[in-house]
Amino acid sequence: MSNVVVLDNGGGLIKAGHGGDRDPEVTIPNCLYRPLSSKKFLYPSPSNSEDLTSAALRRPIDRGYLINTDLQRDIWAHLFSSLLHVAPSSSSLLLTEPLFTLPSIQRATDELVFEDFNFKSLFVADSPSLVHLYEASRRPDGLVSKAQCSLVVDCGFSFTHAAPVFQNFTVNYAVKRIDLGGKALTNYLKELVSYRAINVMDETFIIDDVKEKLCFVSLDVSRDLQIARKRGKDNQLRCTYVLPDGVTYTKGFVKDPDAAQRYLTLDDGSLPQPSETEKDMVQIDDAEERKDRKRIDLTKNEFDLTNERFLVPEMIFQPADLGMNEAGLAECIVRAVNSCHPYLHSVLYESIILTGGSTLFPRFSERLQMELRPLVPDDYQVKITTQEDPILGVWRGGSLLASSPDFEAMCVTKAEYEELGSARCRKRFFH
Amino acid sequence: MEEERRMSTRTRKVAPKMAAALASTDNRTQVRQLLLGLKLWKTIMPELNTLRFMMTMTMLLLMMMMMVFLFSPIFFSAFKFYDNCHVLIVYIQKKQLKGTKRKTRQAKALEDARKAPRTFLELLHEASLESLPPHVPTYLRAAVGPPSSTSRRHFCTVCGFTGGYMCVKCGMRFCSIRCQHIHDDTRCMKFVA
Repeated sequence: MSNVVVLDNGGGLIKAGHGGDRDPEVTIPNCLYRPLSSKKFLYPSPSNSEDLTSAALRRPIDRGYLINTDLQRDIWAHLFSSLLHVAPSSSSLLLTEPLFTLPSIQRATDELVFEDFNFKSLFVADSPSLVHLYEASRRPDGLVSKAQCSLVVDCGFSFTHAAPVFQNFTVNYAVKRIDLGGKALTNYLKELVSYRAINVMDETFIIDDVKEKLCFVSLDVSRDLQIARKRGKDNQLRCTYVLPDGVTYTKGFVKDPDAAQRYLTLDDGSLPQPSETEKDMVQIDDAEERKDRKRIDLTKNEFDLTNERFLVPEMIFQPADLGMNEAGLAECIVRAVNSCHPYLHSVLYESIILTGGSTLFPRFSERLQMELRPLVPDDYQVKITTQEDPILGVWRGGSLLASSPDFEAMCVTKAEYEELGSARCRKRFFH
Repeated sequence: MEEERRMSTRTRKVAPKMAAALASTDNRTQVRQLLLGLKLWKTIMPELNTLRFMMTMTMLLLMMMMMVFLFSPIFFSAFKFYDNCHVLIVYIQKKQLKGTKRKTRQAKALEDARKAPRTFLELLHEASLESLPPHVPTYLRAAVGPPSSTSRRHFCTVCGFTGGYMCVKCGMRFCSIRCQHIHDDTRCMKFVA
């Protein structure tokens, strides 16, 4: 049996490996970057040990779709030859493509796969169906596999899709999309930090790291805002991030990792009331804090985050707060379900699968459950399943599909492509 | 004599360029006037001593190369010849415009524009998804659309907390006097929210 390369070509990360494996061999950012120390754009590598401060970035994918095929060709060539060590001419490719890819982009992708890389055969899958396949195979007794129906919420780098899947096919007329993803969140955080503390508009990698480490989804925004307003020790949400200085450390880090987790203890809903003695302590702490703040101003290589930590992911739930004329995630899900046949509604609400890197914010699913419950009719249950590794969920589904016995029969071969052309071959994938 | 020969070699080189400058009738009358002046000057010239002659020559040379170019047809001999010549010069000039060098540059620019990565919005526009029948799901129809309720929370644009007040100039929100001052100093009137 020949080798199948499974490639989940995301806007943020490329996940690539061999079909049948459990995890992808390579996960690299889908971009070329140029650090300050270099004159050329460098290829991304899995073990990034370089100083990424103020690195310039070039991405082949814009708004989720493959726009710059030349750049993508360079990255793929590097990926296949130096990282995966496969010969494209003797292997098949399973490629993921976002929903509603324009025909011109599909044609360009086909050209890239068959004419530039000479792959033997190609199968193009869409991510919701792969996620469904993976979840269904993981729990053969679960509702997802019994009903062969699920609602995949893919909150990725470029956008967020709520896509109902039925019998392993994405119900494309019911798919709803929010134009918000990890990239928009990072940019928003960048803007906030640049306005309030230090200019970090060029530090995409660093702010990405800040977002991943410090942001969380608030379950009660008004209460958390009150906490974030407090001074000194009372403010359990304040957190300091230290920027790399390029001398002692080339990577930024959270100053006090324990403090970053303190919001988890705020669950009970009642605010801790400091006693008399504690109040004195707090005042002393305040003095220390002030000293600290002075030091911060002098060194200028760290910044505090308070309400930004939960107001940034808040964007996905309430885009209207930021002036975007789009419905939030919960409403998006309801609209996607309502576009399906009424018989499916109860099953879909009960089998919501969360995938994509932006769902990794702590408490994402709890908040979604909270928001969704009032919008869903009482007689339906709402059940949200999270994947164990949301970033790799799509790839694992692809790997599973690639190892199935009739995968070869589903592919379009190079000969067929040359005979029929791109558009006719595409009809086989039923997109 | 020395002077004349040098001018004529230049003339051969710059004739096509010059023709472009002379293409309009206005220019031609100007040239005639200038040439008349030159004739006059030529008659006076022998009476001047050599030093002054040299000085005027350098002056003339320095004054404007273009002026010298304009005078150069006189070395072909006179107006009639120039008028005949004019047709020829324009012809040569046209021929050079059609020349290969310009064309390749244009073609190259066109080719580059075709090859260059286009933006997503361009591609979207090109696909003309609006023309498809309404039952076909497309990128445009998959957008979630505006929220059902028009209410929204307002956050202070300076510090991020609940913003109770609105800037009278630009409509952005702030929460306190302190934030208002910061807002006025930094980003007021930048956007209209």
